[in-house]
Amino acid sequence: MTDKDFDLTRRAFLDGVLKATAGAGMSAAAPWAVSAAMAEPLQSDRVRLGVIGTGDRGRTLIRNILKTRNCTVAAVCDNFEPHLAKARALVPGNTPAFADHRAMLDARGIDAVVVATPLDMHARHTLDAFGAGLHVWCEKAMARTIADCSAMVKRSQDSKKVLQIGHQRMFHPTYLNALRRAKAGEIGEITQIRASWHRNTSWRRPIPPGSNDRKINWRLYREASAGLMTELATHQLQIGNWFLDAVPTRVIGSGSICFWKDGREVYDHVALVYEYPGGRKFVYTSLLNNARYGCEEQIQGSKGTIEPELGRIYQEVPPKVLALQRMQEDVKRGHKRTVPIGGATWFPELPVTTPGESLGWGEYDETMLQFEGFGEAVRAGKPLPGMLAQAYQASVASLLGEQAMDRGAAMPWPTDLATV
Amino acid sequence: MGTRIELHLFGKLDRAAVDSARRAIEAVDDALTIHRPSATTALNQRLMAGLPCRVDDPILLDALVEIEAAYGAAHGLFDPAADMARPGAGWEAVRFDERQGDIEASQPLAFDFGGFGKGFALDRACDSLRACGVTSAFLCAGESSIAVVGEHPLGGGWPVAIPHPLEPERVLLDLELRDAALSISSTVGAGANAPARAPMIRPADGTPVSAARTTVAVDRRGARAEVMSTALLVADDAQARDLLDRAPERRFRFDFSLERAQPAHAYEVALQ
Repeated sequence: MTDKDFDLTRRAFLDGVLKATAGAGMSAAAPWAVSAAMAEPLQSDRVRLGVIGTGDRGRTLIRNILKTRNCTVAAVCDNFEPHLAKARALVPGNTPAFADHRAMLDARGIDAVVVATPLDMHARHTLDAFGAGLHVWCEKAMARTIADCSAMVKRSQDSKKVLQIGHQRMFHPTYLNALRRAKAGEIGEITQIRASWHRNTSWRRPIPPGSNDRKINWRLYREASAGLMTELATHQLQIGNWFLDAVPTRVIGSGSICFWKDGREVYDHVALVYEYPGGRKFVYTSLLNNARYGCEEQIQGSKGTIEPELGRIYQEVPPKVLALQRMQEDVKRGHKRTVPIGGATWFPELPVTTPGESLGWGEYDETMLQFEGFGEAVRAGKPLPGMLAQAYQASVASLLGEQAMDRGAAMPWPTDLATV
Repeated sequence: MGTRIELHLFGKLDRAAVDSARRAIEAVDDALTIHRPSATTALNQRLMAGLPCRVDDPILLDALVEIEAAYGAAHGLFDPAADMARPGAGWEAVRFDERQGDIEASQPLAFDFGGFGKGFALDRACDSLRACGVTSAFLCAGESSIAVVGEHPLGGGWPVAIPHPLEPERVLLDLELRDAALSISSTVGAGANAPARAPMIRPADGTPVSAARTTVAVDRRGARAEVMSTALLVADDAQARDLLDRAPERRFRFDFSLERAQPAHAYEVALQ
């Protein structure tokens, strides 16, 4: 892609975000996206980011940071040399590289830290960065425990440093457009969201020389991860809280190691019901041995359904025939015209499978906008509004779901959370 | 009925007439649906169990009377009891006494009125509107079943253009309707490939029609128009020719199998 093409695509993406956030109620529902898209990032005096964790995800983040207009990668850090070498290949040769995050923090020369390490390391790396007077962008989920999530929020507030969590759907034009249309009442009252993330994979990665299973496959072990809940469900729980405009009152669930009995410790099947005020529900399943239903959130209202991953909106009632509406207008004007009408439209009552209408696709990587927004937040010393609360609540919901499954009991929403 | 029904009335707005037409449509849906408990599902349960049944629901009884007449008129090509999963099931296996309302079948079978129900509902709605004094109305169920009461409010017939199912910007057929009903059946075009849509099947052997085909039938009654458009769709060439020749201004069949955008037969071109 040429620079000109990139500029045009970027502009179109930002226009898409701005258009989606222009609807009634959207400035309150997605203030972070409005702020990030409205900013005019400077190309000079870039915010210097030090990336801790340069595995696959960390390197993806580096590529997106390099696309931004206001951030640069000023240091990279990983305690696994092959990953660090791959990161070095992405950045200028004189970029400092570290095997220990403390050394990177002590070396100074950066304004903020990007944390892309295994989940159980997020809190330590984040708190250390705050201790060094730096701002933090951290991958979701926030941390391995609810207490650590809360500690990160509190330390961010106490140190007056920005803490931003990576939830790319919060910047995705399709999701923003979906929310705008939901806020406009197009699908009526939302009473249930049915979400799934189904894959057909062991999720187990090959172990390169010099590493070990627990280090590479940390997602499969409880000390480091809550598995499907923190690595996948947290994205969709954020969507649930966002569209239902609330946090759950409690969660019930069942988890099992049902298919991949290979020594892993985290569930490969989870099924949960999150209850929200007013009897509303978020019904969630995730599994690792059937990909038929993939990743989706079915946002169900009294007048329609939105499926944002597919980018479709469906009306409960088939739309009026436009030609007949036009005929009514013609007759009022004393004008007689042929009515174009006709086609096979018989559908059985259930299941109704209609093609729906496109919500509009985002053709740009929203991760870039997250970083541009983060860069502006670092410059201003103020977080993008509303983002941290969404991320915090999503992480808490994912960890609470794990507790509900482990204990076989309904878990009420915690009352001792930090106030964001 | 799983579809949207629109009533467009012209002239003085008569709320009672609208309500009456709506009730007529809902009553047909209540009686003929197989998607929730109804007189039809009760009948089907008996017939599937090999038991006789006395039909006491007047709407279902009227529908069965209509179907018995239609079955003969369409040379057996319309059959709401035909079933791909049960070869041999069909109206031929039914013994129906319309005076008593008694019905039984020589083998397990069930009715699925499908599009017939839409035409039948529009008929009753039109009857209701006429009874209320409405003289100009346009009704449609989805876009495949249409009925008009009287003339266009600006005079003359109701001009209707049926789009080409494969090239919607082209017109397949222009018609003018007066106190008539129109039914369109198709194996191609919008909605025809919906995943859960039941295929059109040939009653004689229960096989699905796979040819790319659209048929159109006009009749005074919507139920009969539905029967005829279905019959034309499943008919072989000889059967279709016979049905078309009997009412060339009111019955049309377009075959897109060989020549994607053109009617397949010369006589069909002539009918346009």
